[in-house]
Amino acid sequence: MSKKLLLILLIMPLVFSGCKNSHRVETAAVIENVSVERQNGQLCYTFYLLTEEETPNAVSIPADSFQEAQKLARRSYIPNLTLAKLKLLLIHKDVVSEILQTDIEYISTQASFSPVAYVALCDDNALRRVRQNTRAQTMIERQLILCKQQHPQVNIDYLSVFNSYARKNEDGFYLPYITAEGDLRVSERKIEN
Amino acid sequence: MNYSIKEIKARLQAQFSDSADLTVRELTLKSSGEVRAAVFTLEGMVDKEGLAQAALNPLLAYDFGRQTAAQAYCTIRDSVLAASDVTEISETELTAFLTSGFAVLAVDGAPELLAIGAQGYAFRGVSEPESEVVQRGAREGFTEPLRVNMSLIRRRLKSPDLVFEQMTVGKKSRTQLMLCYLQSAASPLLLQKLRDRLRACDLETVLAAGYLAEYLEDPNTSRLFSGVGISERPDTVCGKLTEGRIAVIVDGTPAVLVVPHLFVEEFQGVDDYSNRTYYATLIRLIKYLSFCVSVFLPAVYTALAQFHPEYFPTWILIKTSNSLSKTPLPVTLEVLLITFVYEIMKEAGLRIPKSLGHAVSIVGALVIGESAVTAGIISSSTLMVVATAAICSYVTSPLYPPVTMLRLVFIIIAGVLGLWGIVLASAMVMISLCAKTSLGVPYLSSLSPFSLRTMRDVFVRAGWKRLSRHTIKVQHFAETEER
Amino acid sequence: MRTEVKFSSKRFLMTLTLCACSVILLQNGSLPQRSSFLCRLAAMAAGLLGCFLIFLPSIWLRKRGGDVFSQSLPRAARYAAAAVYTACFFYTAEYFLFPYTDMFCKKYYPDTSPCVIALILLICCVYAALRGANVITRFSVFLFALAMLTNLLMFGGSLSSLRFYSSDLGIRGGFSGFSQSFLYFLTPSFTAVLFACLSGYTRNFRLRQPVIALALTGVKYALVLFFIAFAVGEYALRQEYQTFVLSRVAHFGAYAGIERFYMALSTMSVFMIVSLLLCAMCRSVDRNGSRGFTAAFTAAIFGAHMLAVYRPEVREFFTSPLLLVGLSVLTAAIIPSVMLIFTRRGHNV
Repeated sequence: MSKKLLLILLIMPLVFSGCKNSHRVETAAVIENVSVERQNGQLCYTFYLLTEEETPNAVSIPADSFQEAQKLARRSYIPNLTLAKLKLLLIHKDVVSEILQTDIEYISTQASFSPVAYVALCDDNALRRVRQNTRAQTMIERQLILCKQQHPQVNIDYLSVFNSYARKNEDGFYLPYITAEGDLRVSERKIEN
Repeated sequence: MNYSIKEIKARLQAQFSDSADLTVRELTLKSSGEVRAAVFTLEGMVDKEGLAQAALNPLLAYDFGRQTAAQAYCTIRDSVLAASDVTEISETELTAFLTSGFAVLAVDGAPELLAIGAQGYAFRGVSEPESEVVQRGAREGFTEPLRVNMSLIRRRLKSPDLVFEQMTVGKKSRTQLMLCYLQSAASPLLLQKLRDRLRACDLETVLAAGYLAEYLEDPNTSRLFSGVGISERPDTVCGKLTEGRIAVIVDGTPAVLVVPHLFVEEFQGVDDYSNRTYYATLIRLIKYLSFCVSVFLPAVYTALAQFHPEYFPTWILIKTSNSLSKTPLPVTLEVLLITFVYEIMKEAGLRIPKSLGHAVSIVGALVIGESAVTAGIISSSTLMVVATAAICSYVTSPLYPPVTMLRLVFIIIAGVLGLWGIVLASAMVMISLCAKTSLGVPYLSSLSPFSLRTMRDVFVRAGWKRLSRHTIKVQHFAETEER
Repeated sequence: MRTEVKFSSKRFLMTLTLCACSVILLQNGSLPQRSSFLCRLAAMAAGLLGCFLIFLPSIWLRKRGGDVFSQSLPRAARYAAAAVYTACFFYTAEYFLFPYTDMFCKKYYPDTSPCVIALILLICCVYAALRGANVITRFSVFLFALAMLTNLLMFGGSLSSLRFYSSDLGIRGGFSGFSQSFLYFLTPSFTAVLFACLSGYTRNFRLRQPVIALALTGVKYALVLFFIAFAVGEYALRQEYQTFVLSRVAHFGAYAGIERFYMALSTMSVFMIVSLLLCAMCRSVDRNGSRGFTAAFTAAIFGAHMLAVYRPEVREFFTSPLLLVGLSVLTAAIIPSVMLIFTRRGHNV
């Protein structure tokens, strides 16, 4: 009797609460890459959806911060957005000083954001390349790893960017900078706190 | 009391309701007075030729002279019968002996009856068991008659330490069974528990050993996994007897029950002990892995596809997503559907005549597999996951029933609660397994309660030199628990 | 109920403490942020030594054949002891349940209600509690294996993120930081209370068992502190559940997802601890335990949990390490010490 009662008690909350968090694989929007740039004077966050095709499926959201872009994306553009698999955050060199602090503050408190994503600064050409070809993103990742091997002081993942940024007794830190003139090159850029 | 043939005959005919197979051969013995005798048999249970040679011919040829019925009875018992097995019985035992294939000789006016061992029913010969095939090792398996099975064990353990203890179960079937154990190895406590449970069995008929398995399980423990082992191989049973286990041989069943039975035994095979240790260890690890895969793989797939798609590696995620987006059913239902279809096909495959087997396999593989994927009814990734789990479940075939049940339950829970549900359900299953005992010995012994000394024959198979250093008796686990 | 007789202290201590610490580490947020790695390490050593000292009275009492619920005690004293122990177990159950459901809802499933999670978990705990303490300790062996695997993956996967900064090696934090950390590292002392209650019949409770268990716990704590300081770094200070962050940071090439192992470990640890505490509660009030008591205590735990979810002051009350340690000291050290004095006097007379 007690077993049956336990079973009923167990099943009821299961039935009523289960499936609520379900975001099925066929409808889930798993994002691996995000880029930030200024378009028509407005900050714009672009989320690249996973696809098998050559041209990436990108959703651009005008927003003032990552937090706002994420909220807008969930509400209006990509309901089942998940950033747990984020691999690359590309920031345009012109907007870095504007967004880095606020975005770092926000992302550092979010459990849903992958802390081991790569972070890189880039220029217009690199961003255009990324928008045109899905393989460009993978190539950037490879370049970043090469960059880290050659310059150990460069912070390539989000975790190290945050830790360097938060360390108050240091003058600045280094981020990789990627241009796309012909092929992808890697250089360093020092950001002051 | 002196027996009268007429009365015995009348009583037997009444008891057997004039059954056609009850035969009575009445004889008038050669003597000066009239000494009458009768041989009672059940048709088909007795070797007629053997009975004629051992009893009927000598009886009819012998001259009893002036002997009275009582004297003639003694002469028959001591000098006339050529049978090797002659037992004096009373009338109360008559039915039991007749139904066991004995011929019963009654002499009119004699004080006792004589049971003559002349069993001669047809039975299947000793052959290789189909469910426990080995690469190296004996090709002999148990067969139906109790005595043949006893001889198969005795031939391997030529020790006076080996004891066969007879019991009868089934109010109607009066099925004979033997408790078989090594006197020096088996725990008297476990033995007494087993006897008590068998005596408490109130079944009308016991037609197979499986009927008794439920009665040998410990009360108030989970019945999902079996606490009673079953084997068709005499060498396997002999190995288990040396570890202090007790075998129950049931007449008419080509498989022997062994208790106590532990979880780790499901992963041990006869071949392990013939193969090289490193290879046996690899096979053991593969078996454990297959068990986990067969239980958890479809559930984990369901949970990931339903709740946590981000945990798929990217290349799998894209393919799975594309594949699932073309199918009409949600992933949980799809996994359940394929699992059920597979179980139906398996059952059909088992029952179908062998000549039709190939045709059904082709229909199953092509129609249900290939066509359903092409038509977009099921996704290829789901089909592959369920098929992998199904194949893995056969690696430890004795665990097939609980594994199938657990797989279904886990799939449903994964579909409702995701990975967290699987974790909680696993915890519940583990608790129920930890609570399970077999004749008082914890079912998960060696693993929990943990025993480092016995680990040499759990995940790994140590060499014979190490294994033979200490023989670990099964009751050791029960004792450590009491300490 | 089969809670009696076979409580096996050896494997219980070896595993429960190790597994429990993974749960305690969920609350790493309560560690002072400004104290350095070395400062925390020193506090940890002192804390675990304190835990060991709390174990001693129960061991001595056990050696003398005494029992905190001895029948030779006056009835009023027995009732009082039962009430104190039950209160302690109740508090400990809440202390572990609340951070777990909180972490679960914040980090894994943001849209679920903590009450539903607690209810489902508690129902599973009732099933385990009805099976008895002995069965739960057998289960702990598998949990120990899972803990080993998870820790191996977590630490192994974090190796690539290790960065050594000289500032982390200094001694920072001051006395207040040290005392706060010390208090935090005293929390494993709750296991001593369980022993005082559940090992009533155990004959194999030896001094070396808590020593080995606490030493192993110390190693695990030290590893977690080390990786949090040098692999997660400042990032960890922003997050509420630092060990969870450590499990997120861990990755092997493209393969991440160690946090699911961590979730499994923490779920099973909380499940085991709460089940064991339910058993202990029933044992405190009734030697044979009963289903009615188990159901009543479960309902009470759930009720208190609901209150804690909706009332911040109740939440603060149930998540105070000071209260937990205070209750542990009272039940595992003070009451058995009084009993020791009481029995010695009895012997002398």
